[in-house]
Amino acid sequence: MLDAIDKSLLKTVADLESLPKGAYNIRKNGKLLSRQVSANINIESNAEGTGIIITIKPGTKNESVHIPVILSQAGLYDVVYNSFIIGDDAEVTIVAGCGIHCGSSEPEGHAGVHDFQVGKGAKVTYVEKHYASGDGKGRRTLNPTTKVFLAEGAHAEMELTQISGVDEANRLNEAVLGPDSLLLITERVLTDGEQTAVSTNNIVLKGAGSRANMISRSVMKGNSKQTFYATMDAQNKCFGHIECDAIIMDNGTNETMPSLKAGHPDAELTHEASIGKIASDQLTKLMSLGLTYDQAVNRIIQGFLK
Amino acid sequence: MLELKNVYFTVQEREENSGGLRNIIDGINFTFEDGKFYAITGPNGSGKTTLAKLIMGVNPVSQGAIIFKGQDISAWTITERAKAGIAYSFQQPARFKGITFRDLLTVATGIEDENKLLEILSRVGICPLSFLDKEVDAKLSGGEIKKIELAITIAANPKLAIYDEPDTGIDLWTIGPMVSLLKKELAENHTTTIVVSHNRAFLEAADVVMIINSGKVVYSGNLEGALPLLDDLSVCTYRDSCEGDRDAGCYR
Repeated sequence: MLDAIDKSLLKTVADLESLPKGAYNIRKNGKLLSRQVSANINIESNAEGTGIIITIKPGTKNESVHIPVILSQAGLYDVVYNSFIIGDDAEVTIVAGCGIHCGSSEPEGHAGVHDFQVGKGAKVTYVEKHYASGDGKGRRTLNPTTKVFLAEGAHAEMELTQISGVDEANRLNEAVLGPDSLLLITERVLTDGEQTAVSTNNIVLKGAGSRANMISRSVMKGNSKQTFYATMDAQNKCFGHIECDAIIMDNGTNETMPSLKAGHPDAELTHEASIGKIASDQLTKLMSLGLTYDQAVNRIIQGFLK
Repeated sequence: MLELKNVYFTVQEREENSGGLRNIIDGINFTFEDGKFYAITGPNGSGKTTLAKLIMGVNPVSQGAIIFKGQDISAWTITERAKAGIAYSFQQPARFKGITFRDLLTVATGIEDENKLLEILSRVGICPLSFLDKEVDAKLSGGEIKKIELAITIAANPKLAIYDEPDTGIDLWTIGPMVSLLKKELAENHTTTIVVSHNRAFLEAADVVMIINSGKVVYSGNLEGALPLLDDLSVCTYRDSCEGDRDAGCYR
């Protein structure tokens, strides 16, 4: 079933030491490895056989579903389409994530296309980690897409993390917010070497009283490059905020383009963006507490990407 | 315990201001004695903060030597000085993203245990429990971050604690407890304490008041002896706008 590499990947992307309790679906090298449903959470393959449909019953409380993907097959580019249908007033945590182990010179990649229909008053927490490992020189690519539709009063909190080892990432996040709904996105991306990562975010604040907060934290080491686009499109009385911070280390580069569109007189939109090296006063403070320069840098980055 | 031997800090003036060399700290000789409370005061721009930073190693001395407990630490890094027992409360404390007060306390003390951290909090008194998991970021008020900065400095159990204007942004009724706290730390842990301040409360608490002007020590001794000089210096360029008819209680 799970070999040592699988276990290590699962631990990293889904914090799983073994098979999880509750509902789960583990996909390995493009195929279903293991699945379990629960009384309130159903998982089934979609009609085309290209992914899964996860249905959470209305009113479900405090349940979680794990849907990790692991790849260790040289030359494979795995594309999966997953749909999440979250019933009214349900509260659920979804842990996704993709771990790639590349042991050869052939490329490996994964594109997870996830759409979420979040019912009235439902609350979903979505945690996604991306990670690649292995000694192989093959290029590791991860191109995730998430599309979120929030019904009236729905809450979605999304934590999107790319930890390390991913050569190329091209992410697309789209969201449409209904009345009084709330969307919180926190994206953390660390790149190194010659890696590149692009994140494109289009958030439409459609319903009255909708609120969205998009936080992006980027660290570029080596010669890596990250590009961040975020658009908040306010079509009603609403509140939207974009906060994007990038820390440059070594010769990393960054382009950040927050964009605010107010299509309604009562829209309130704000953004703050910063790009730069680690602030020297932060380094000095931590060194004055006894850390060395390198330890201080690590501690600051660790907190920044926490 | 800390000896400044003919210490200079020299900078290059900007081109438009002659481009020559200027001594921000201009040959200071002074010995700080073990377990005493020092208040450094003087006009704005006189070199107080610069001197404090030279002791911590934030800036290197241009000339002269700093001797700490018998060792010449002039070339030591900030980290080495911290490990030797010097701690510094910055006038404008750094703000982080994703680092909490708890994290900084743990870095300063090596303690992760919740109960021991709570003990430290009750010892420093100034910080309510709710501070512990607050991020030390731009959302904190000026007063909150100064209290956190002070608490971290005390928690590090330094042999020499330097506080640069610890009262900035602190509400007036907290200054008294802050002075008492520093005096208690000195009494119980024998912490040699240096406070850079204009505040009467710190000057009154100090064993020795040191007045710096133009990078030189122009007075050191008790407050009584300092008063005529402080009045005489007419050192404050802000007096009209700051105090007006009201006495703000500072000796600027």
